[in-house]
Amino acid sequence: MALCRKILSLGSPMRQLVLSSERCLSVSTTHHIDNLNKKQVEPKGVEALNPVEKNLTITVEGLADITKLTGVPEEHIKPRRVLIKKPTKNAMQSGTNNLHKWVMTFDTKERWENPLMGWASTADPLSNLEVEFASKEDAIVFCEKNGWQWAVQEPPQKPPRAKSYADNFSWNKRTRRSTK
Amino acid sequence: MSSSRLVNLRTARQVKPMLSLDRAEARTRVINLYKAWYRQIPQIAIDYDLPKTQSECKKKLKEMFMKNKDVKDIRIIDALVIKGQMELKETVQVWKQKHGIMAFWAPTVEPKPKDFMGKFLDGHN
Amino acid sequence: MAACARRLAVSMTKYTSNHGIFRSMVPRAAGVGAFRTSSTTSQTDLHPTIRPVNAVERTTVSEYGQYVAECLPKYVQQVQVSAGNELEILIAPEGVIPVLTFLRDHINAQYTCITDLCGMDVPTREYRFEVIYNLLSVRYNTRIRVKTYTDELTPLDSACEVFQGANWYEREVWDMFGVYFSNHPDLRRILTDYGFEGHPFRKDFPLTGYVECRYDDEEKRVVMEPVELAQEFRKFDLSAPWEQFPQFRKALEKAEVDEETQPK
Repeated sequence: MALCRKILSLGSPMRQLVLSSERCLSVSTTHHIDNLNKKQVEPKGVEALNPVEKNLTITVEGLADITKLTGVPEEHIKPRRVLIKKPTKNAMQSGTNNLHKWVMTFDTKERWENPLMGWASTADPLSNLEVEFASKEDAIVFCEKNGWQWAVQEPPQKPPRAKSYADNFSWNKRTRRSTK
Repeated sequence: MSSSRLVNLRTARQVKPMLSLDRAEARTRVINLYKAWYRQIPQIAIDYDLPKTQSECKKKLKEMFMKNKDVKDIRIIDALVIKGQMELKETVQVWKQKHGIMAFWAPTVEPKPKDFMGKFLDGHN
Repeated sequence: MAACARRLAVSMTKYTSNHGIFRSMVPRAAGVGAFRTSSTTSQTDLHPTIRPVNAVERTTVSEYGQYVAECLPKYVQQVQVSAGNELEILIAPEGVIPVLTFLRDHINAQYTCITDLCGMDVPTREYRFEVIYNLLSVRYNTRIRVKTYTDELTPLDSACEVFQGANWYEREVWDMFGVYFSNHPDLRRILTDYGFEGHPFRKDFPLTGYVECRYDDEEKRVVMEPVELAQEFRKFDLSAPWEQFPQFRKALEKAEVDEETQPK
C-alpha cells in the first residue's frame, strides 16, 4: 500500500512507466480481417492516424553531449584521447582496398605482464576499439558528441617521383641498371 | 556537405522532443523522479539488507542527481529521467540484486593514483 | 567502406522520392540481376552454383514496391529490391505508424505478421541507428522490409499499437541500441543485466564491456568492478586489402561518395 502511494505521488507520465507491468494492456487496435461479426469499415486514411500533436518540435542548441547516456565510465571519457586517421597500407601487400575509410582509435594504455602466465594484461576496454567512418568530419562529430578529445592525422601526401626509362641507362645516376 | 555538420549541430535547430516540451516540464519530471527515489529509500534498505544508513543512501541519491546537474539539452534530461525510472522500477520490484545497488558505492574499487609518485610507487611507469 | 560492402545485397532501386536522407544513400546502379542477364552464355545460365535469376518475380516485386511508394508518398523515401528479390521500403521516422498500418490493413498488402524488428548502427551517419521491420503477409505469401532511421536522442513511435508482436523486439532495440520508442506499453531492458549501463550493440561499445563481476570474500557478495583482462583480446583485421567485388566497383564508389556527401 505504501508502495502504491509512492507510485501515485509521481506525475502521470512517470506513473505510466512505473505501473505499466501492473496495468493490463488496453484494447488492442489490431482487428481481425476475417472477423465476420464485425462490420468492415473503410479505414479513414493517413490523416486520422497522425494527430496534430505529433508534429511538435522543440528548439535545441549546441552539440548534444551524450556522455551521460552512453554508459561509458568517466575515466574513459575525460582522460582519453582519440586519433582519427586513415588506415595505413599493409607494407607486405599491395592491396589498397582498406584505405578508403577513416578510423578512430584510442590512445594506448598500460599493458603489463600477467604474473602467473606472462600474458599481456590490460585494464583498458577500449584498447581494441576501432570505429570506422566514411569521412573525417563524421568522425569529428562523433567524437565531439561522445566527449572525447580528438586529433586528426592526415594521410601523408607524397609527391610523385619523376621517373623515366632513360634513367636506367644514365651515365652517372644510381638508377643505372648494369647493362655491360 | 558533411563538413558543415559540425556547424549545423552547433546552431539552434528544431528536433522532435522525447517527452518534455520545455525546461519546466523536464524539471518537474526530474524532481518527481527524485521524490520517488527518496521515498523508496527506506524500503530499498529493507529489501536489499543494505549495510548503509538512510542518510548515506540519501546522500548517494543526491550525488547521483547532482552529477547530471549541468545537462542543458531537454532530450538528454528526458532520457536520463527515463533511465532513472527504469532503474527505480527494477529496484522497487527487487529484480536487481544487492551487488547492483551496492555498485553505486563501489567499495572494492580502489581509486587509481593520478600523480606521478603514486603511479611510480604502484609500479606504473 | 564496410557500410558500402554491407549494401552490396541491394542491387536495384526502382523509386526514389525527392526528400529525405535515404535519397542518395543507396547505390542506384543496376546490380546482380542486370549484370547476369548481360552475360548470356548458356553455360553460365545453367551453372548449378549460380542462383538463377527470377526476372518475373523481380519485376513483380519492384512494381509492387512502386505501388506502395505511390500509395504513401508522404513517408516513403526510397524503395529498393535486394539481390534475393526482397522488397525494402525506406521511410521517414514520422511515418512508422501510418506505413505499418497501411501494410497491415490495406487489401493489397495484408502484412499481418511482424517477423522481426531490429536495429543497425552506422556511426558515420547523422541518424546513426536504422530500425528495420520485417513483415510477412500470410494471405499473399510475401515478405516486405520497412526501414527507418533515428539518432540517439530522437524517439520513434512504437509499432506495438499496430503489431503486438513488436513489444519485445522494441525492448531489445531499446536495450541494445538506446532507441526510445514512444507510447510503448512496457519499455524496459530485456537482455542486459539489471543496472547495466550502456547499449551493447552500438559500434562504440567495446567487446569486453566496462564492468566485470567477481565474488569478494571480504564483502561476502558479488562485486562489480571496472574490467581488467588477464589477457588482452587479439585484434584481427579481417578485411582483405584487395578489392573484393570488382564487378560492383562503380556501385561501391557511388555509395562511398553518397555516404560522404549525404544531405543533412
